[in-house]
Amino acid sequence: MCNCAAYNSDELYTWCTNCGNYGIHASIKRALADKNIKPSEVLLCFDIGCHGNGADKINAYSVHGLHGRILPFAAGAAIANKAVTTIAFGGDGGTLSEGINHLIHSIRANYNFTFVLHDNSNYGLTTGQASATTKQGLEMNSSPSGVTSDTLIPMELVLSLKPSFAARTFSGNIKHMESIFKQAIEHEGFSYVEVLQSCPTYNKVTPHEWYAQRVYDVSTLEDYDSSDLELARKVAQDVQDKIAIGVLYLNKDKKDYYSRLASRKSIKTELVEEVKGYNVGNIIDKFR
Amino acid sequence: MYNNFRSAIKIGGESGQGINSVGKALAYTLKYSGFYTFGYREYPSIIEGGFASYQVDFSGVPINSSSKNIDLAICISRAAIHKMLPELNRNGVLIHSVIRFSLNKEEALLIQKNNIKVFYIDVFTIIKAINANRLVQNTILLGAAIKLLKVDIEFAQKALGKVLNVDKKVLDLNFTALQAGYEFEIDAEVIDLPASATKENPKDDFLMLGNNAIALGAVKAGVRAYYSYPMTPTSSILEFLADLEIETGMVVKQAEDEITAVQMALGTMHMGSRALVATSGGGFDLMTESLSMAAITEIPLVIVLGQRPGPATGLPTWTATGDLNLAVYSGHGEFVRCVVAISDIESAYYLIQKAFNIAETFQIPVIVLTDKQVNESMFQGNKFTAEIVIERGLINDSKTSERYQLTKSGISPRWLPGSSEKTFIANSDEHFFNGRLTEDETEVQLMVEKRMKKETGLLKVIPDPQLFGKRSGDVLLVSWGSPKNTILDFLNLVKGDSKLDFTYLHYEYLFPLKTELFEKLVKNFKRVVLIENNYFGQLGQLIKKETGYNFKEKVLKYNGRPFFLEDLLDYFNYGRTMERPKILK
Repeated sequence: MCNCAAYNSDELYTWCTNCGNYGIHASIKRALADKNIKPSEVLLCFDIGCHGNGADKINAYSVHGLHGRILPFAAGAAIANKAVTTIAFGGDGGTLSEGINHLIHSIRANYNFTFVLHDNSNYGLTTGQASATTKQGLEMNSSPSGVTSDTLIPMELVLSLKPSFAARTFSGNIKHMESIFKQAIEHEGFSYVEVLQSCPTYNKVTPHEWYAQRVYDVSTLEDYDSSDLELARKVAQDVQDKIAIGVLYLNKDKKDYYSRLASRKSIKTELVEEVKGYNVGNIIDKFR
Repeated sequence: MYNNFRSAIKIGGESGQGINSVGKALAYTLKYSGFYTFGYREYPSIIEGGFASYQVDFSGVPINSSSKNIDLAICISRAAIHKMLPELNRNGVLIHSVIRFSLNKEEALLIQKNNIKVFYIDVFTIIKAINANRLVQNTILLGAAIKLLKVDIEFAQKALGKVLNVDKKVLDLNFTALQAGYEFEIDAEVIDLPASATKENPKDDFLMLGNNAIALGAVKAGVRAYYSYPMTPTSSILEFLADLEIETGMVVKQAEDEITAVQMALGTMHMGSRALVATSGGGFDLMTESLSMAAITEIPLVIVLGQRPGPATGLPTWTATGDLNLAVYSGHGEFVRCVVAISDIESAYYLIQKAFNIAETFQIPVIVLTDKQVNESMFQGNKFTAEIVIERGLINDSKTSERYQLTKSGISPRWLPGSSEKTFIANSDEHFFNGRLTEDETEVQLMVEKRMKKETGLLKVIPDPQLFGKRSGDVLLVSWGSPKNTILDFLNLVKGDSKLDFTYLHYEYLFPLKTELFEKLVKNFKRVVLIENNYFGQLGQLIKKETGYNFKEKVLKYNGRPFFLEDLLDYFNYGRTMERPKILK
């Protein structure tokens, strides 16, 4: 059996006191250990931002990539070797501004990996500028007169793309996060997990307590059906008063990217096992 | 006088008139009848209209370039007549299917002066008679042309079957059109062209685009994933590999942009498979941050950069070798890279394979430069004889290793994620030997130096530039990329001429730059001439930076066109005295 401690690293965390990232890290470790996945059987891919500064604070095969670009990196990795569990992490800055196209196309492609969005509604590592999820009108570093752009509700965007797995959780609830992460890892396809994350340093508007008072799991609703996209869209809209968490939407019938590939239909090996010299004589002959 | 053994036929019309198909069919026809051919395509960046052409140069000896002037013009549009008439050699022939057109005074004079014969082929009567539509007019003209050339119609039928990707009904209709064109009575017998078929038999040769050879080299090298965003001139690599995906089992993905493509490739390469990306300058610009990431994480990466003239959108469907500086200097920060340039199908096929070996062995990014003239021209070959052994530089036992440990060569042990209990982090932040972030001044310096050390080893495996000719003489020509083909064809053409003694130095491996051979050679030649398809003379600048040598003579071309034979004939004062075809009555 694999235990959580196997994921512990000798490196010291560098996050602020009470940062939501601590809980997310702990939950990921617990989810992986509980699924009996060893650190050497997983690829953890981190974007740039505060969350990414945890990339070397967890013992596993991991990658610390470029700002906004971790999704295609993870997609390429997941395609190359399905035997290794791929999980990607990104912040609201990288994911919803710099690389928002990748989120859209990863959902469309339905690559088989889990994506955890650390949404703390600001750019923490560059000292508190507005992100796409910062509430309009808020005064932020570099928006002294208030944020002018409309606020993006990422789950609305995600659901509009008919994902195969869309869940929301909260950085203050380790048990909930662990459960969601486990379901996301189990799901075959692109598993979108949005973590509502507190940022004690730069986000004074929606701290831990603010979320704690407002979140409820959709499974507590009577007759909530996670296969009902319209229902998911409805509950996802409210990010102010009653905030829905849990698996908001799940479509098990949607095939993941790899299963859709005609070229890989009857092939049992992984791309990483197939690097060798190939005979191209037959193809060349077609040009004669 | 120099040897004259080449001829050229050009088909011109509008985009959408099947110029490319009939051009390729003509090349195959000539190959099947025993010629060596070279197919060159010009087209505007539009889908319908404008002026598009396909030129087939052919000869009894292998050739890889085009002449500016042609012997036979096949015109499907009015614009083509006006455009191609001045390109005809003395005694040239123009056949066309344009019902009404008028020539201006200069054109009429030109026809008279150069003794050009113009023939109208009544394709529309033929189309009516064979119950076809106007799309087959190119095939009818092909039939008329091969009749003029005295070529067996069976070769043209075989060629159409090879080139046209259509069902049997449409193919049969094209055969009928071909036959009808062949039987059309022209008031001329045959054209006597200077080119004659070879005694060696090139009938079994293959004809392929540079892009085909790049793709084949990639398949051969064990590339298992191809990620790309379409961009001329590399789009047909994507098309070709996608068409082959069932046969090869490769993952071929049209990504949402070039950043995605290169990041997917990095992900796949990091896990330990081989992935390729190809793009052009604009797309490459988008990839450069990832290039930098490949360098610091030491994830092997191979990018094909297919050059076309810029800046910005520039001339999307034309050629240049103006992105050497881009390849050499792109990406923020300082790091070791390897830049190579292909020049024909053989170098394409082999250099892609070698690029992956270098990328994996040295854990560095490798940029493979090509240019539209190589990507989309059709070259003739027979076989790729050499075998490139796959080299990956992976270690089996990682227990006592650290992924980024300091070594003499700068190359650290590399193993694949998932293959060992010993994990590591590939970190785009500066890191120490275990991949963990560091900002410590000593550790940072050691890591920078570790990565930089790779250049020493790299320079040891990179071959010297290729030498064609003697080590001393009158003129040393220096170039890289597609101009090589024109230079070698030019040298072949003037061979035996006592006027000047030429040697050509071809740079296939451009960066890091090997200069020893160049420095030895420059002392042994009266003239040293730099030839480049760009404005700055970028290889010249690089050589100057490394050696201090200042090129006094430069032949630079930057108008979107490749080097034609006449460019070099003119520059070296050989004039235009080629014996040209005669109409035999």
